[in-house]
Amino acid sequence: MTYATFAWRNLTRRPVRTTLTAGGVALAVAVAVSLGGFNLGYRNAISGSIEQLGFQVMVMAKGCPYEAATLMLKGGTGLIYLPEDAHEQIRTDPDIAEITPIFIGIAEKQGFALDGSPAASSFAILTGVDTPSFLAMKPWLQLKTGRGYDGGRWFAPGATNEIVMGYEVAEYEQRKVGDTFYATIVPHGSVEPRQHAFTVVGVLERTGSQDDGTVFLPLHVAQQLFARDGELTIIGIKLREFNAIRMREFEGRWLKIPEVQVVSLEQVKGALVSLVGTAQTMVAAVALIAILVAVIGVVNSILMSVHERTGEIGVLKAVGANRAQIFRLVWFETLLICLAGAIPGSLFAAGAARLTDAALRAVLNIGVSQSLVRITPELLGIAILGAVILGLFAGIWPAGRAASLRPVAAIRSGE
Amino acid sequence: MNNQTLITGRNLHRHYQRGSETVRALDGVDIDVRAGESVCILGPSGSGKTTLINLLSALDAPTSGELIIGGRRVDGLAEHELVNIRRGLLGYVFQQFHLIPTLTVAENIALPLLFLGRRVDPADTQRVLEAVGLADRAGHRPNELSGGQMQRVAIGRALMIKPRVLIADEPTGNLDRATGEAIFDLFQTTVSEQGVALVLTTHNLALAERCDRTLTLADGKIVAP
Ligand SMILES: Nc1ncnc2c1ncn2[C@@H]1O[C@H](COP(=O)(O)OP(=O)(O)O)[C@@H](O)[C@H]1O
Ligand SMILES: [Mg+2]
Repeated sequence: MTYATFAWRNLTRRPVRTTLTAGGVALAVAVAVSLGGFNLGYRNAISGSIEQLGFQVMVMAKGCPYEAATLMLKGGTGLIYLPEDAHEQIRTDPDIAEITPIFIGIAEKQGFALDGSPAASSFAILTGVDTPSFLAMKPWLQLKTGRGYDGGRWFAPGATNEIVMGYEVAEYEQRKVGDTFYATIVPHGSVEPRQHAFTVVGVLERTGSQDDGTVFLPLHVAQQLFARDGELTIIGIKLREFNAIRMREFEGRWLKIPEVQVVSLEQVKGALVSLVGTAQTMVAAVALIAILVAVIGVVNSILMSVHERTGEIGVLKAVGANRAQIFRLVWFETLLICLAGAIPGSLFAAGAARLTDAALRAVLNIGVSQSLVRITPELLGIAILGAVILGLFAGIWPAGRAASLRPVAAIRSGE
Repeated sequence: MNNQTLITGRNLHRHYQRGSETVRALDGVDIDVRAGESVCILGPSGSGKTTLINLLSALDAPTSGELIIGGRRVDGLAEHELVNIRRGLLGYVFQQFHLIPTLTVAENIALPLLFLGRRVDPADTQRVLEAVGLADRAGHRPNELSGGQMQRVAIGRALMIKPRVLIADEPTGNLDRATGEAIFDLFQTTVSEQGVALVLTTHNLALAERCDRTLTLADGKIVAP
């Protein structure tokens, strides 16, 4: 027999109490792991989504950078526009590797929302792009092939009613190459909606980004349909060399155009991360309380068990246990109870990550498609290690009390 | 069997403080325990038997007087130092058996080895189980045993460390007459076969007469050698 098995036997003596105590630990660990997973996953999802944009810098009309951020990721409302000649000026910048002008507009589509997903909403994001520069920015965009998609292509020069659909929106609208897609647009300065029929000339493969929910059309067609000739929503830019210094230099050069601001996607990332910062702090506080309660539960449960076994501990001392050994035994019990909670708790959090993700999405619609909760083996390892360390601390007091019991008094009180 | 003195107590006092009053539970006791002999401590309830036996088994230290166990001075030691005196030398049997309820008979018997850091040799456990007559109960839990069987387990636990002195405080006090006698027989066999010394307390005069020596305590003093 070892200390561990002896300690375990002691815990099984009060199965209900042990289970409840370990359950408290499990809960605390599950909350902590979920929070950690959210921290990891959220950053990851934002980084992923931003990478999928293909550019590191964007130029947009002056406004709130938060808005800019969500706008880019969701194609949100409240669009503001900048003059197209800014693009003509900025493209001459020597540091630019790639640059593409983008026009975004919202159209109403036929059908209605069945669920809350962007593809299912009754609005469609229409993105006007300059095909050559846009594809240079996003070389990974692939046209779908196979039955119903063969012959897929980007717009023919001069075409006015051709569109390319993102994977999800095509799926949801059940459109294939050659089909017609109807969208209703209210042109700028008018109240009269106009319906347009477009021909689907290509459908994109899944990218896992906001592009999946987007309908693409030629830049100038989009500008005309929305009656915003010579206006852009953003200009996406990839610099030859991207770092903070280059970025500042670039920004400085283009401060002179009064209507625009230069936003680095690093800034956008920062803005998005801090957007949920408060929420995360609150969850962290809850997790901290849960951990505190669990630790108190463990201390209390082990103290009770030491108290109940006073006589027995005296007997152990009488048969040769010294202080250190009694300390170790009770310490082991604390450790075991923490592990018995931490392991199932962290596994539960890992198993429930999808649920957590869905719950977070319900309260936090930031339009990233990747999972918001990312639970890695390292995270689980840290959680379990943390529980062990807390267990070691929680065990000090009860173990110390047990170790300092005087055998004669202990045996007498146990009779 | 040699005549080596294992325990020597001279003018042992053990006083307890009960409020402002001092209880002289032991009031000047002299005692010697030699290898291979059985010593019985008789006396009415409250006469100081348990107090004395706790001193002899190094569970407690005397208030004053000289106490030598296994050649080492005990008086003046702190509680946490006493464990080093009793370890490996003394085997203790309680009136209330005090078995660990979650451990099997075999595990209870082997428990002291865990604290001595000795490996458990199953052959040793088996030998002790046979010696105390519980070979067929190795896997049972204490709550599945009778009182006599529980005391046999406790004796087995005391014997497992191969002690020089077996100390038992009213080991038959919780047992019926016949069972008590059987347990006493087991003690005597152990003494004669393994050469350990035995110190026990009892109310039972018939059992006391079967010991090599009898001491009678009254009010913390030895009244008859
Ligand atoms: N821890 C203690 N505190 C105070 N008085 C005690 C304590 N232990 C024993 N006594 C007293 O010491 C005397 C001897 O007790 P004890 O050794 O238990 O006697 P016995 O075992 O012969 O019945 C009794 O009067 C008892 O009340
Ligand atoms: Mg007594």
